[in-house]
Amino acid sequence: MAYITGVSMVNVDRHYDKGVKRLAAEASSKALEDAEPDTLDYIIVSSSFTYASDVQLDIASYIASYTGFRGVRALAVESGEASGLAAVSVAKSLIDSGLASRVLVVGVDKLSEWPTWKVYGHFSKFYDVEGEGMYSIGMGGIAGILMRLYMETFKVDRLTLAYWPALMHSNAKLNPYAMLRFAITPEKVLEAPPVADPITLLDSFPLGDGAAALVIEGSGRGNVLAELVAVESATGYPSIALPEDPLRFESLERAYQRLTQRADIKEVDVIELHDSFTIMGILELESLRLAERGKAAEAVSRGYFSLGGEGPVVNPSGGLKARGHPIGATGVYQVVEVALQLGGEFPGLKVPDSRHGLAVSVNGSGSSAYIAYLRSVG
Amino acid sequence: MAGFSAPAVWRGRTHRYRLVAGKCTSCGKLHYPPSYSCPYCGSRSMVEAELPRVGRLMSYSVVYSVPFDSKSRAPVILGLVDLGVARVISEITDASPEDVSVGMQVEAVFRRIAEDGGTGLIVYGIKFRPVKGA
Amino acid sequence: MPQQRPETATGIHGWGVYIPRFRIKMEDIAREWGWSDSQWKALAMIEKAIAGPDEDSTTMGLEAAANAMKRAGVDPGDVGAVFFGTESKPYAVKPSATIIAEALGVTPVTMASDLEFACRAASEGLRASLGLVASGMVKYAIIIGSDTAQANPGDVLEFTASSGAAAYVVGPSPGSAAVFEGSYSYVTDTPDFWRREGTPYPRHGEGFTGEPAYFAHIIGAARGLMNTLGLKPSDFKYAVFHQPNGRFPLKVGEMLGFKPEQLKAGIVTPLIGNTYNASALIGLARILDNAAPGDRILVAPFGSGAGSDAYSIIVTDAVEEKRNKAPKVDELVSKKIMINYSTYAKFRHMIRVVRE
Repeated sequence: MAYITGVSMVNVDRHYDKGVKRLAAEASSKALEDAEPDTLDYIIVSSSFTYASDVQLDIASYIASYTGFRGVRALAVESGEASGLAAVSVAKSLIDSGLASRVLVVGVDKLSEWPTWKVYGHFSKFYDVEGEGMYSIGMGGIAGILMRLYMETFKVDRLTLAYWPALMHSNAKLNPYAMLRFAITPEKVLEAPPVADPITLLDSFPLGDGAAALVIEGSGRGNVLAELVAVESATGYPSIALPEDPLRFESLERAYQRLTQRADIKEVDVIELHDSFTIMGILELESLRLAERGKAAEAVSRGYFSLGGEGPVVNPSGGLKARGHPIGATGVYQVVEVALQLGGEFPGLKVPDSRHGLAVSVNGSGSSAYIAYLRSVG
Repeated sequence: MAGFSAPAVWRGRTHRYRLVAGKCTSCGKLHYPPSYSCPYCGSRSMVEAELPRVGRLMSYSVVYSVPFDSKSRAPVILGLVDLGVARVISEITDASPEDVSVGMQVEAVFRRIAEDGGTGLIVYGIKFRPVKGA
Repeated sequence: MPQQRPETATGIHGWGVYIPRFRIKMEDIAREWGWSDSQWKALAMIEKAIAGPDEDSTTMGLEAAANAMKRAGVDPGDVGAVFFGTESKPYAVKPSATIIAEALGVTPVTMASDLEFACRAASEGLRASLGLVASGMVKYAIIIGSDTAQANPGDVLEFTASSGAAAYVVGPSPGSAAVFEGSYSYVTDTPDFWRREGTPYPRHGEGFTGEPAYFAHIIGAARGLMNTLGLKPSDFKYAVFHQPNGRFPLKVGEMLGFKPEQLKAGIVTPLIGNTYNASALIGLARILDNAAPGDRILVAPFGSGAGSDAYSIIVTDAVEEKRNKAPKVDELVSKKIMINYSTYAKFRHMIRVVRE
């Protein structure tokens, strides 16, 4: 059994005045407020851009000592955009195996440190650098290909797909940790500057910095927010050029299948998923069978995934689109947000009486996928 | 993308220059770039095979958010090209966004695909362009 | 029986051209730099070809060589030399010939090098190749002339300096599309045009590039060849010369005693500009695209510095089945995308961009 007993987030923003260690330390120390640092067995750090941009090696050890945990066991996990959930899965394995009884997971990354043209170059490393990563993918090039293919294949118009970012912005308005806390209309999405046409700026995650932390314990004494029931993952095709159907994320489908074999998931009330770009959120909903293929955008547009809709509430945080996507930190944010929802403590848009939640991360166009299932303990 | 090593550029020369794919001797399928194992059946018995040089554009994106070294050809058109026996992700060159449409025929051309700043290596390889000239 | 000239053992097995699609009109250049239209009209120019931002002499050279190999139909393993003539090398140090050889599948057992002699380097590669093939040292050689010619913005040279490539596969005369009859080189130290190490644009002697350079050397080579072979201008169906503009090749032809109808088929510069190392070789390719078996052709490239080589070539029956195996010059000339001066300036790196 693994329980989430402490959580913390730094608001996603351009934190020019704080470095990676400082953001991680702030998140870590707050998550551990109630826990005794001495009894911490491990710190698992999730960070991706610190390597991609040559900032710091052995980042976990430096975060540990900087935060005041010198002596603790520390290691870092890197799995691209999916790093956060990868770190959570490693932490849960340590708990489940009995090797650790209390583990701190902290995810941190900063995208505001460099000019955007440099950051765009780093983004290409989410993809196979011996293949398409050598080309000028920039921000959203591959997702742009997927979005156009989706629109052509399923005859979905651009405006229907714009309901996704509109919903994300609407959800994020109440989230004090979100980077973009303003409402937008679907029409506004189409008017925004193109980033990787048909993707516009308002389909894309903002470039922000963030850190989030959570404490996982093997026994549920004290302040248990939620039970971390299972985390599963799978690797997938290294390129969208390889699968017969590029609009299916085989990695996510497989990870979800594994998750359902591991845990009996009867219903899902809330999901935080990886909508780096609108099309990613849409394809993930379909990979999880929460919408029929080609129908997710339409379902979003009629409120199916909104609070009060028939389906699970998707990304009440605002998602990567509006909360933000500080790469290595994102998965940790998602688990923290789902845990807070299940514990009834999420400070933003609350999903009342939610008992079952999922967090989903995907790197690139599905080279890896992670999915976590959380349950309320009340 | 800036800052790549000379050995890495060298190792990739054959598949990039000649559009050489991996061909699985077990299931017969092709994949690009060549991998150590077949992405379809997992076999590690591979031979190399040159891909056809004319194909169909399945989808594309017009990328404005490009790294600085690509700025002189922004917006960059990135395409998913179906060559029949395999598909590749590549850049679509010699074309403006208004010249490009899904389903159009494209042909392979040899171009600079990346360069390491103004003093580093130039990476050559295959891009595609519309078969129909303006 | 007189001794056979070694060239007669050699022939052209494949020819190939690459012309980038972008074009700029002379009016646009004239307007930008305050030239009167009479300036470019005197050069008999209309448009010039511009390499795209992801093209350079290596990429264009490979495309031309690949087209030549399509026509040649020879096994890349039988190619023993790749000579790349350019004055616009992407790398100051590092051969382009190896990149092209690798992309063609010719490596590793081959000669390969980049040659420099202004616009004549590829031609010298061709003449050297005839010797290599005739001697039996190599079976086939690929000769590529390719340039993204540079001109100082505002210099009169800017009207003509353009981008393009031509390539030839030469080998034993049997099976070739055209056989060589003879060749002749004529070289002196004449400083009509130069570019110093580390400088972006060449300097030239304006009128000095004409009489003592272009005309003297081409006439020296062409007359030398005709005298050696006992031929006169009327023995040739076509003559093609280096063409720095649309006017010079007509004039030099006339000075040598050729008639306009012998010259016109090989003149492409007015529509694409001066492609430097590819200039005369694209002209020859256009002739081969249309020539009939038995036609005799005089070819004389020229390079500043200065030198010229003259070749006499006789077309064979094989030209007919080869010509449709790769794009013809006229097709390449007609596929074009017009661009304005600022796009041209950006594509040809004339706008100063500071990079890391």
